[in-house]
Amino acid sequence: MARRDWTTAALLAPAYGWLALAVFLPLGAMLFFSFLKAAPFGTRPLQFTFDNYLAFVRRPYLIDVAWTSIQIGLWTTGLCALVGLPAAIALARATRGRSQQVLFLLIVLPFWTNGLVRVFSWTMVLREGGVLDYALHLVAPSAPAVALLYSFPAIIIGLVHAYLPYMILTCYLSAAAIDDAYIEAARSLGARTPMIFAKIVLPLSLPGLISGAILIFVPVIGSFMEPRILGGRVGVTMGTMIEDQFVQAFNWPLGAALSFTMLAVVLIIFGVSSRALSARFGAQ
Amino acid sequence: MTSHLSRRTFNALLSSALGGGLLATYGSRRARAATTEITVLNWKGYGTDEAFALKAFADATGIAVKHDYFNAEAEMLTKLRTNPGAYDVVLINSARTQQVQADGLIDAIDLAALPNAKDLAAPLRDHPNLQVDGKPYGVAWLWGMTSLAVRHGKVADAQSWAIFSDPKYAGRLALFDDSITQVGIGALLTSQDINNPKDLKAITATLKAMKPNVRLMWSSEDEWNKAFAADAFDISDYWSGAAARSIKLHSLPLDFIVPKEGAIGWLDTLAVPSSSTKKAAALRFINYMIDPKFYVIWATQSGAPASTNTAAMNALPADDLSHKIYKPEDLAKLKFMSALPDDRRQAFNDVWDEVKAFYAK
Amino acid sequence: MIALGRTYLLATIAFLYLPIAVMVAMAFNDSALYTLPIEPSLRWFASLAVNAPLQSATRNSLLIASATSVIATAVGAMAALALERKRFRGRSLLRLLLLPPIAIPWLIIGTAMLVFFFWTGIGRGIHALLIGHVALAIPYVVLIIGAGLQTLRADLEEAAMSLGSTPIHAFFSITLPPLLPSVLAAALFAFAVSLDQFVISYFLSTPGVSTLPVEIYSSIRKGFTPEINAISTIFLGVSSALVLVFAQLSHLGGKRDSR
Repeated sequence: MARRDWTTAALLAPAYGWLALAVFLPLGAMLFFSFLKAAPFGTRPLQFTFDNYLAFVRRPYLIDVAWTSIQIGLWTTGLCALVGLPAAIALARATRGRSQQVLFLLIVLPFWTNGLVRVFSWTMVLREGGVLDYALHLVAPSAPAVALLYSFPAIIIGLVHAYLPYMILTCYLSAAAIDDAYIEAARSLGARTPMIFAKIVLPLSLPGLISGAILIFVPVIGSFMEPRILGGRVGVTMGTMIEDQFVQAFNWPLGAALSFTMLAVVLIIFGVSSRALSARFGAQ
Repeated sequence: MTSHLSRRTFNALLSSALGGGLLATYGSRRARAATTEITVLNWKGYGTDEAFALKAFADATGIAVKHDYFNAEAEMLTKLRTNPGAYDVVLINSARTQQVQADGLIDAIDLAALPNAKDLAAPLRDHPNLQVDGKPYGVAWLWGMTSLAVRHGKVADAQSWAIFSDPKYAGRLALFDDSITQVGIGALLTSQDINNPKDLKAITATLKAMKPNVRLMWSSEDEWNKAFAADAFDISDYWSGAAARSIKLHSLPLDFIVPKEGAIGWLDTLAVPSSSTKKAAALRFINYMIDPKFYVIWATQSGAPASTNTAAMNALPADDLSHKIYKPEDLAKLKFMSALPDDRRQAFNDVWDEVKAFYAK
Repeated sequence: MIALGRTYLLATIAFLYLPIAVMVAMAFNDSALYTLPIEPSLRWFASLAVNAPLQSATRNSLLIASATSVIATAVGAMAALALERKRFRGRSLLRLLLLPPIAIPWLIIGTAMLVFFFWTGIGRGIHALLIGHVALAIPYVVLIIGAGLQTLRADLEEAAMSLGSTPIHAFFSITLPPLLPSVLAAALFAFAVSLDQFVISYFLSTPGVSTLPVEIYSSIRKGFTPEINAISTIFLGVSSALVLVFAQLSHLGGKRDSR
């Protein structure tokens, strides 16, 4: 038993030690700041306050903004799951060998293009006079103009595009690892494809779906690049509000408090949903 | 079974990549410059990093100039505060000078040590924003205004900021995503002091009334240019120096107008951080920056805000855009930004955040 | 059914590549402001060839991303193993602790790192960048390898150990081989996270030393020209080639090719 504990600690130490130094301690400093009245520079004495955590009460417009962010998160994650899971399963089971490898890599490659350039390229596709508009009018000259840019759907399109590979990747890893023996056994017992999908493939791909959902929902609600660039005046999210505090107002305490509030909400959502999921699908 | 990249080969490949990387960074550190080197902290593409200027300065004085950039004034403050000794010249908006001086970050400037300072326009050189205890804490360098920019040919006879809520231009307005500017425009429209408006609620209402017209926010010259070129909007608030460049370098069809309520002026200064170890070299660079020889080339090559040096402005060719943009009769309508106490700055930020949230609903 | 799956997959990939195709096309467009229609021109590649800062920034990005990938994958894999295979108190807490690095906007973490490193004397520079990038990549690695471990059967390892194998040997001969796709995927992820990371890099880099995303981000102010598209296109081309070579050697396809 003692040897096991030692092994466990040794395995965890590098990763969590690194995170402690680079993330948790700095965030601890930020947490400390969030209880101050102003960023702790210069010669003024430190003043403490809870005000920043009452931000949602003092500034009711933040509630609308937070709700927008959550909606963006839900839409993006939902669409990524809806589009990505079938794609991942198709990749895992409808292709093989060289073509499977090539397709896998094709899906991963967009990751390595710079995010800002990609989002900007979306503006070229979605705007009036952009690629989609141009293409549509080549085919149907009298169709109305395509002016998707500077709208909520544009934000979602941009985010789904940016995060879809995460979902495809994680679901693929789960789907690809499903033992053929299960499928063959089910077939030999007379099950048809939809049944196999629902009872075997889907549940076994669930770990991938869940980790994909985490990797997508969590950063998306704090996103500010796609909302700003693709959303125009509609692109106001918690991410942009927090950025304003740091970049325009130099109010680190408020920005920090808003982020930690957001983090708390995320942790609660995940705490609750992981309990619900493990209750439903059994402990893993 | 299947061919496999063995673990050993994998490890060897990756560790040699890592090792090679470390060696490369070490190697480049060894080659250090033998000449004096100063570091300038500024916006990117804002005069101090013009290639011709750096070369001319290095040739004349033997001083090499490195740059670090910021994307927002708050960032400039953070960098100054967290990097003592790293910077020798820093660009500071005059509205921030006193705040930065209060934190002990910059030195007083002895203008007598700068030969070119004698030609600086007195009201700007001695502007109250720069003075603490009778001493200037920055050299007035460039000034400009944020005013009305409209699409030539599509918008006729724009005379007032009220055009921002004119139903004729629904969905054709782009606003600068900056609380100080927007509150300033709101103040101009409600006849208040842009630096100390008493009725923030009126300003909030005025800004909210612009909602049907607002299409997008912009926060950099480049963003503005690209969106304008893509025909995304027709009216906007914009910077004078940027307007000159948009017309000159990109041939964009815009008219730059100072409306009857006035425009928001800003004065940028070059300052020397107290922690700098190369102050003499820094002052020589600042002297070169206010030199007409530098300014005229910069303004005619790319377009620039107005220089505080009257000799420099007079040396511009008669057909230069600056004469079109900086008309003498507009100067009286200019309201310069000045220092804001922290709580007022926060109040402005809250107003703008509330308005943006309203725009998004 | 298979044909339907393939068609769907190709349609998804087409969606993924739409803006990328536009990005590549704009690298060959003469207009500096990205106006349509496209006027073919190679001028951005030409100006890229003499743009030393951008080139050195790209080199830095690649080196840092490679180092990040190696370190984060190694360190994260170990943590994932412990989290998935061992039972211990505080396991759920440790899992939850993986969320803050991804949940908190990078702007906050970047500022926090800047201030903390300043106070503790770690300062700015390539070493600080590396610390930051690895820290941000670790949660992704742990989550991906963790998901991979969940699908594998834990009892095989235990069976091997009950037959006398040491845990380490059991790991390398039984757990690791089927886990390899997850590990490589995690490494690719970590590489991508580091490559695209501009906020942390922006705060922690010293003047003169820059990475590609930082150059792009700071170009927003001055003029984000199609040189950026040109270098992204080159990058895309080179990484496609590299990854194909890599795939040849290491077989990411799992165990499906023996059919």
